[in-house]
Amino acid sequence: MNTPQALLNWLRAWGRAGRFALVGGAAVLSPSSYTPISRSVSVKQIYFTAYQVLPAYVFFATLLGLVVAHITVAVMRSFGLTQYALELVFRALVLEVAPILTALFVALRSGAAISTEIALMQVSGELEEMRRRSIDPFEREFVPRIVGVAFAMASLTILGSALMLLLAYVAMYGILPWGFEAYTRAIALVFDPLAIAGFALKCFVFGILVAMIPIAAGLDATREIKSAPVAVMGGMVRLFSALAFVEIMSLAVKYA
Amino acid sequence: MEPEQRFTPLPRHLQFRIGLTLGLALMLAIGFIGYVLYARGFFQATQALTLVAENAQGVSIGDDVSFAGFPVGTVKRISLGEDGRARIDVEVPLKDARWLRASSVFTLERGLFGGASIKAYTGNLRDAPLPGGAVRPVLRGDTSEEIPRLVASVRGILDNVDQLTSTGGNLQAGIANLRVVTERAAGKQGAVGALLGEEEAHKLVNTLERTNALLSSLNELVDRAGGLVTKTEQRVLSPGGVLDGTEQAVVQVNAILGDVRDMLKRADGVLADAEQVSGNAKAATKDLAALRSEVDANVRKISGLIDEINRKWPFERKNDIRLP
Repeated sequence: MNTPQALLNWLRAWGRAGRFALVGGAAVLSPSSYTPISRSVSVKQIYFTAYQVLPAYVFFATLLGLVVAHITVAVMRSFGLTQYALELVFRALVLEVAPILTALFVALRSGAAISTEIALMQVSGELEEMRRRSIDPFEREFVPRIVGVAFAMASLTILGSALMLLLAYVAMYGILPWGFEAYTRAIALVFDPLAIAGFALKCFVFGILVAMIPIAAGLDATREIKSAPVAVMGGMVRLFSALAFVEIMSLAVKYA
Repeated sequence: MEPEQRFTPLPRHLQFRIGLTLGLALMLAIGFIGYVLYARGFFQATQALTLVAENAQGVSIGDDVSFAGFPVGTVKRISLGEDGRARIDVEVPLKDARWLRASSVFTLERGLFGGASIKAYTGNLRDAPLPGGAVRPVLRGDTSEEIPRLVASVRGILDNVDQLTSTGGNLQAGIANLRVVTERAAGKQGAVGALLGEEEAHKLVNTLERTNALLSSLNELVDRAGGLVTKTEQRVLSPGGVLDGTEQAVVQVNAILGDVRDMLKRADGVLADAEQVSGNAKAATKDLAALRSEVDANVRKISGLIDEINRKWPFERKNDIRLP
């Protein structure tokens, strides 16, 4: 496969992912997609994506948050810049690390699984069968997964961020309540409406990417069994590059 | 295989737990928004304060205005006023406004790094409270601006020191003068010469020498008088003789001698004074003048006395007294 061909395939794959995102978005927004079955699938998806990973996620987030917050506070203290420590922890840990950590966690844990599941459906002809039986695969399979992953992403990000806010307090002031006022001021300083809106937007985009790209990649598989790993792998690579791109763009917009 | 049959919904208790998780996340999000609103002072009444600065460099929105190290206000807006001065709009929560009084002073300080810090100082907490919407000037202290100024003034000081210590400088001249003084103090007239100058010291030394001479001649005189007294005892002792007058004269001579002794003591004192570096040269000269006039008066008295003795003394005709 020569380079222009590879580039073309790469662009086509992105094009398919984009098209799927548009159609999927429209399906998510149309009320007819929400049937009792799709709701049930959504709940199941949330169960797999958010509830099952919760202990591991909380453990990982706590470990990372504790280490990063502690190092930041200790270094700032040794430089005599304690007044900037909390701001730095909020900006780095809560606004940047928590969303990308959640996105990567969900992508690894559920994105890969969803992508494989869809690819296998494609290989086994299950989706074909559905279409033949005039059942909309969007309604039955895709929208519940998109919605489930989105909800899971949102709740995991919120839980992780809250956990890291708490860890920042503990790293800075210990478990005593006397730092509350200073902490509140740091919160007021960092979380202005623009920052919160930017944070929400970034989390939203992460959610869309993590929900859409694996399903779109799964659809890239054909009836050939060997096409499934290729499709899943391509999807995961696309997902990571998209997440990195969004993160870099958000940093650039915020600080450049 | 029918999809409807293939699908098995989650058990109820798991669905409940998922609902709980989602609900917790939702509550955390809402709670956090509320907390941020609280932190940003959405729920508390504030009063406005405008600080006017020459230069608002380093000040950014959200900076604290601190009082005694505790933030009492937040910078909300920075603008350039019509008069070309920076206007820093500060929001002070009403509960913290009591720290700011009408007489409060505001400073804007800038460290070597980091932003500027605005500080409020209230000398008297019983003054009238700061009215809402007050406009106050802010004094600026800028470390990075101060350093060049500091270096410039240090350079000035170093230049001065250089001038003082250079050859022909003030310090050198002063040391040279001091050397002259010490040389003079070590010279013939000693510290007196150094203090009074050569001429005055000369006069003082002369006076002392004359006093010495006078004393020695008085001694001589008294010796002679003593000799005469023994020689002519009998004649003199005769009642109604010259003795009465002579006794008086001798008493007078004694008194004069006492005076002279006092005078010499005082001269000693003057010398001691003069030797003291801290002694007042002017006072010493004044003392000297008085001393001299006293010496003169005493000398006059002595010569008068001798005249009188000679008048009463039948066998001595020499009626002058040699003065040094």
